[in-house]
Amino acid sequence: MVSEAEHRPLGMFECELCALTAPYSYVGQKPPNTQSVVLLEESYVMKDPFTSDKDRFLVLGSRCSLCSRLVCVGQECSLFYSKRFCLPCVQKNISAFPQEIRQDLEKRKAPSKRPSSQPSAQP
Amino acid sequence: MPPPRTREGRNQRDHHQAPNEDEILERWDWNCPETRRLLEDAFFREEGCIRQGSEECQKFWTFFERLQRFQNLKTSRKEEKDPGHRKDSVPALADLPRTYDPRYRINLSVLGPDVRGSRGPGRGLPPERVSEFRRALLHYLDFGQKQAFGRLARLQRERAALPIAQYGTRILKTLKEHQVVVVAGDTGCGKSTQVPQYLLAAGFSHVACTQPRRIACISLAKRVGFESLSQYGSQVGYQIRFESTRSAATKIVFLTVGLLLRQIQREPSLPQYEVLIVDEVHERHLHNDFLLGVLRRLLPKRPDLKVILMSATINISLFSSYFGNAPVVQVPGRLFPITVVYQPHEAEPTASKSEKLDPRPFLRVLEAIDNKYPAEERGDLLVFLSGMAEIGAVLEAAQTYASHTQRWVVLPLHSALSVADQDKVFDVAPPGVRKCILSTNIAETSVTIDGIRFVVDSGKVKEMSYDPQAKLQRLQEFWISQASAEQRKGRAGRTGPGVCFRLYAESDYDAFAPYPVPEIRRVALDALVLQMKSMSVGDPRTFPFIEPPPAASLETAIFYLQDQGALDSSEALTPIGSLLAQLPVDVVIGKMLILGSMFNLEEPVLTIAAALSVQSPFIRSAQGSPECVAARRPLESDQGDPFTLFNVFNAWVQVKSERSRNSRKWCRRRGVEEHRLYEMANLRRQFKDLLADHGLLARAQAREAEDSHSRLQQRRERRTLFQLKRRHEEGGARRRKVLRLQEEQAGCSSDEDRAGPAPQGAADSVDIQDVKFKLRHNLEQLQAAASSAQDLTCDQLALLKLVLGRGLYPQLAVPDEFNSGRKDSDQIFHTRAKQGTVLHPTCVFASSPEVLHAREREARGREGSREDRDKMSSRHQLLAFVSLLETNKPYLVNCVRVPALQSLLLFSRSLDTSGDCSRLVADGWLELQLADAESAVRLLAAALRLRARWESALDRQLARQAGPRPQEEEEEALPLSPKEVAALSRDLLQFMASKVPYSLRRLTGLETQNLYVGPQTITAAPSLPGLFGSSPLSPHPTKGGYAVTDFLTYNCLTSDTDLYSDCLRTFWTCPHCDLHMPFTPLERIAHEHACPQAPQGGPPGSEDAAPEPLQKASALQRAYRCEHCQKDFLFTPTEVLRHRKQHV
Repeated sequence: MVSEAEHRPLGMFECELCALTAPYSYVGQKPPNTQSVVLLEESYVMKDPFTSDKDRFLVLGSRCSLCSRLVCVGQECSLFYSKRFCLPCVQKNISAFPQEIRQDLEKRKAPSKRPSSQPSAQP
Repeated sequence: MPPPRTREGRNQRDHHQAPNEDEILERWDWNCPETRRLLEDAFFREEGCIRQGSEECQKFWTFFERLQRFQNLKTSRKEEKDPGHRKDSVPALADLPRTYDPRYRINLSVLGPDVRGSRGPGRGLPPERVSEFRRALLHYLDFGQKQAFGRLARLQRERAALPIAQYGTRILKTLKEHQVVVVAGDTGCGKSTQVPQYLLAAGFSHVACTQPRRIACISLAKRVGFESLSQYGSQVGYQIRFESTRSAATKIVFLTVGLLLRQIQREPSLPQYEVLIVDEVHERHLHNDFLLGVLRRLLPKRPDLKVILMSATINISLFSSYFGNAPVVQVPGRLFPITVVYQPHEAEPTASKSEKLDPRPFLRVLEAIDNKYPAEERGDLLVFLSGMAEIGAVLEAAQTYASHTQRWVVLPLHSALSVADQDKVFDVAPPGVRKCILSTNIAETSVTIDGIRFVVDSGKVKEMSYDPQAKLQRLQEFWISQASAEQRKGRAGRTGPGVCFRLYAESDYDAFAPYPVPEIRRVALDALVLQMKSMSVGDPRTFPFIEPPPAASLETAIFYLQDQGALDSSEALTPIGSLLAQLPVDVVIGKMLILGSMFNLEEPVLTIAAALSVQSPFIRSAQGSPECVAARRPLESDQGDPFTLFNVFNAWVQVKSERSRNSRKWCRRRGVEEHRLYEMANLRRQFKDLLADHGLLARAQAREAEDSHSRLQQRRERRTLFQLKRRHEEGGARRRKVLRLQEEQAGCSSDEDRAGPAPQGAADSVDIQDVKFKLRHNLEQLQAAASSAQDLTCDQLALLKLVLGRGLYPQLAVPDEFNSGRKDSDQIFHTRAKQGTVLHPTCVFASSPEVLHAREREARGREGSREDRDKMSSRHQLLAFVSLLETNKPYLVNCVRVPALQSLLLFSRSLDTSGDCSRLVADGWLELQLADAESAVRLLAAALRLRARWESALDRQLARQAGPRPQEEEEEALPLSPKEVAALSRDLLQFMASKVPYSLRRLTGLETQNLYVGPQTITAAPSLPGLFGSSPLSPHPTKGGYAVTDFLTYNCLTSDTDLYSDCLRTFWTCPHCDLHMPFTPLERIAHEHACPQAPQGGPPGSEDAAPEPLQKASALQRAYRCEHCQKDFLFTPTEVLRHRKQHV
C-alpha cells in the first residue's frame, strides 16, 4: 500500500491567470509510480483526487514556454502544442500556430457563452 | 478490402521471410480478444498506466472503438485538406512542428514495448498497429486528464460562487480575535461545507464539526472530502455510532452531537480538538442545547479552543449573547424571490365530520398550477402536511386527480417509508409532468429536494409531546412557528423564483410563535439527566442551559431515574445507573441488557434489546397484503412482539448466512424493511461491545479459523468484499431515474408490485448493504447466536420473559375484563395512568387476542359450570409494553404477555396485603384476590426470598463491573457463581410456574382513595419472622399495617371481610409434627415453614407453589453458630429458625 506520505503536497499550485489553486505533490516530467508515462513538459502534478487509484496523477499546469507564467492546463488559460503556451501568448502570436489551432480557438469562443445547463432543456 | 491478387502476390513473395507479420497485418482485427490481449500484454503490464483486466482497461477499449470510428470519418476528409502554411515570425516559436498533428497537442508520451526487438511482450506485433494503439492510448490518457481537470476547475468555480465564499477571510479573522464566532446563514449559503475547508486551508488540523443527524455527517464528510480534493485521502472523515472513517491523518471529522458529548464524557477538556464547529444550533435539539452549556463551561478552561456556532438566521442574538456577545458573521442565503399566496380554508361544507383531512384545498393548488403554468415550464411541488395520515388522505385524492390529468406524479415522503421509497423523491418526472411530493416536516430541514418551484404549507406539524406522568408519548398536531413557515417557503426558491401557497391566513401567520419550541421543553429528560449525572456537571437544576427546561420535567426525570434504580436517594449515580448512562438506549432496555447478561441470556437479550430500540421493521402498507401477512405468520410469536422481532432477526441472519439466498427478496416478501434489520445488527453489536467493556460479558474473541486453509479462505472472502465495497463507492451515488407516470397511479402498495427485478439495474446487482454487513459483522457468530435461539428451552424462554418483564416494569397494562366478548380489533387495556389503550395493529395480540384471555381457557375445561363474576383463574396475564404512543388513539407498542400474579409479586414497588394475605394490591392500582390464603402467603414468602436473592445477585454482578480494578480487593460481595445463578433461575422459574387461582382487577378511582386503613394504634407486631425474612416489622406511617420491606406492607388494606382476620383462629393439626392448635392462616403458614418435621420437598398440597428451602448458597445466608449443638452453619434466617426448633 502506498503511504499517504508519497502524496504529501509540496506546495500550492496557483494559476496566474484564473487563480485556480490546488496542492501539488510533484514537479517534473516523471510522475511517481508511473513508469510508462512521460510528461513532455515540466509539470505541476497532483494525485488524481477523483480516483482511489493511488498511481493516477493529474497534471495541474506548467510554465508558459514564452512568458514563463505559471498557468493551469484549463482551456481558458493555456494550450499545449509541443510546448505549453498561455492563451495571451497564443493570441499575441496567433499566426505562428497552425490553422487547426486557430480554428479551435475561434470555435471555443463562440459556444462558451451559452449557459451550460438549462433546467427547461431537459430531454 | 485489398484486392485479392495483391494479397496473393504478397503472400508468395513474403512467404519465406516473414510469413506471420503480414498475415497478422492483413487479418488484423481490433476486436479479436487475442489481439487485444497481446496489446494489453505489451502495454498494460504491472507498472503500466492501465492495469490489465481492470475496469479502466474496459473503458479504454470502449474509448478506442469510438476513436476509431471518429478517425475513419475524419481521415477521409483530411486527405483532401491542404495542410496550412505558417510563417515563423517569432523565433521562440520556430521549432513548432511543421505539419499539424493532434498528437502534438498532448503533453504526455507513453513508453511502450520495443516492438522491433526479438524479446519482450511486444514481439511480433506489427509496428503500424502498435503505433496506432499507442496513439489511441495517448488520446485516452489525455482525455482522462482533461476530464479530471475539468472536474477540478468546475469544483473551484462552484465553490467560489457560493455566497459564503466572500466571507471566508472574515470568518477566519474573527475567529483569530475571538474564542466563539456565530456564523449565521440560510440554507444554500454553503456554510456547512465551506467553513470546515476554510479552516483546513488556514492550517487547522484538529477540527470537529457536529451535526444533529448521522446521515448529515456522512454526506458532509463525503462532500467536503471531495471538494477539498481528498476524497480518497483521510484528511476528512466522519464518526457516527457504528461507523468511523477517522484515522490519525484526519484533520476534519464530522460527528454527531451525541458522540461528541461522549468524548467529552471521557475527556472533559476535549484535548483532541483545536476548533469545534457546532452546526445547526438553531434546530435546538436536546443534545445541542446541552452541548452549548457544556462548552460554555469548558471555554474558560480551554482558552485555546475555538468554537464556531453555525445557525440559520433564526434567533441569532440568543446564541451570541449566551456566549458573551460573540461576534456574528451573517451570510446572505442564495434564494430566488418567492411569491407568497395566502389561501386560508374557507368555512367549507365538510363532507363528513370524520377526522380525516379534507384534501380539497390541496387539490385546488394542483389545479391552479395546471391552469396557470404551462406544462413545459418545469418545477415540482412540495406539500407540507402534518403527518402520515394526512399524507395518506391527500395522496389518495391527488392520485385520482393525477391519473385524470396525467400531469402529476404523486409521491409521499415520511420517515416510516422504506428507504427505496424515500429515495424516489429525488427521481425526475418525465417531460410535461410534475412531481408532487407530500411530505412531513422531514423536508423542512433534513431532506433537500432540488427542482422545487411550488410549496404548499398546511401550517401544521405533528410533534411528539411527552406526558411524564403516564410515560406517554403523544403525537399532537400544532401550528408551526414563523421560523418553520419561512423555512418551508424557502424550499420553493432554491433553483429559481417560486411560489408558496399557505393554507392559512396572514393573520394566522402573525399569530404563530416566532420559533419552534426547543426539544428540551417537550421531551422526557431521563436520558439527559442520566448523561448529566454521568458527566458530573452538577445538579441538573442549576445547569446553565441556554434556555432551561421546565422544572417539573427535570423533577420527573430525576424521580423516574430513582424509581428505576439509576439514581440513589441523594441523586447520585448508582452502579446500574452509570452503566445505563453508557448505553445509548432507553433506561428500560438498558436494564434488560444488564439483567439478561446475568442469566447468561445475553445473546437473545442483545437481539431483543436492539430490536426494541429501532423503528419497527414491518412496513405499514404490507399489513394490507395477505401474502405478506401469511409469509410473516410463521415468524410471529404468541409471547409478544419482542419475540416476533427476535424471530424475524434470527431468520434473517439465517437467510444471510446461506450463500445462495437473497435476504433483500426475503424481506420484501414479508413486508419487512431490511434497513431496520441492518440497524438492529449494528446496535446489537454496539450493545455487545458495551457490555463487554463493562465486564458483563466475556469479551468476544474473534474466533480464528482452525486451519490455515479456512483462514486463507476467510481472508480471501473479506478481500473480495472490500473490493466490492470499493467498487460500489467509486460507482458513485445512486443515479437518478425518470419516474414513470403509470407506476405511481397503481396505488401506494407499490412495494409488493415491484418485487420483480432489482430496480437499479445491473450495477446494483451487488447488494452493497449486504456487503457492508458482512464486512462489519462476524456472520458466523451471528448465525450461531441465531440458531441457538431456535434451541432456547422453555425455561430459557420463560427466564427471558422474566428479564423483559422486569426491565419493562412498571410499564404494564391489564386487559379489560370484557375483552373476551369483544372483537379482535377492539381489545382494550388499561395502564396505571391511562385507561382504554389499544394494541398497535402490528401487534401479535391484535390478531390473536385469545392468548390473553384467562377465562376462556379455564372455562373450556369445566364447561357448563355457571361461573360467577369472580373470574378466578391461574392464568391471568398482563401486558408489559415498551412504549405508549398516542396518535389518534393511545397505542401500546411492543407488548409481551406476562403472568400477572407472579410478575406483580416479583416486580411491584409497592405490595399491600390484607391480614391473611389473600388480597393483594400492587402499586396501588391492581388488586389480586387469591382463592386460598395459604397459597397466598406461601407465594408471597417465596417472592420475598427470590427478590432478595435476585437483588443481591444483581448487585454483585454490577459490583464486578464497577470495580474491575484490583484496588478494591476487600470483596465483600463474592463473585456471582454460575451455580448460584442456576439455582436462582431454577427457583424463579418454579415460582413463575406456580398455579394458584386468583382474580385480577383494576381498582376504581374511589377504591384507590380508600385503600388503606391508615396509621393504627396497635403496637404489637405479629411475630412471624420465618415468613418475611429477618427484617423486623414496623408500623407503616401512612398506610397502616406493617412495613415488612421497602415494598411490602402487611395488613394495611381496608376491607369489610377480614377486619378481624388476624384474630380468627381455627384449630389445625400440623401433618408433620402433629401439633394441634388454633391458628390464623398466617400463623399456620409460619409454622409450616418452620416445622422441623416438614419434608424438604415443601409442605404437601402446595404443588409447586413454594420453592424448596434454600440449600444452595443464598444471599440471605449468614454464618450461624448454634449454641446448643456447638456447630457452625451457613443459614438463611428461616433455616436458623428451623434449626432452633430442633432444640426446643
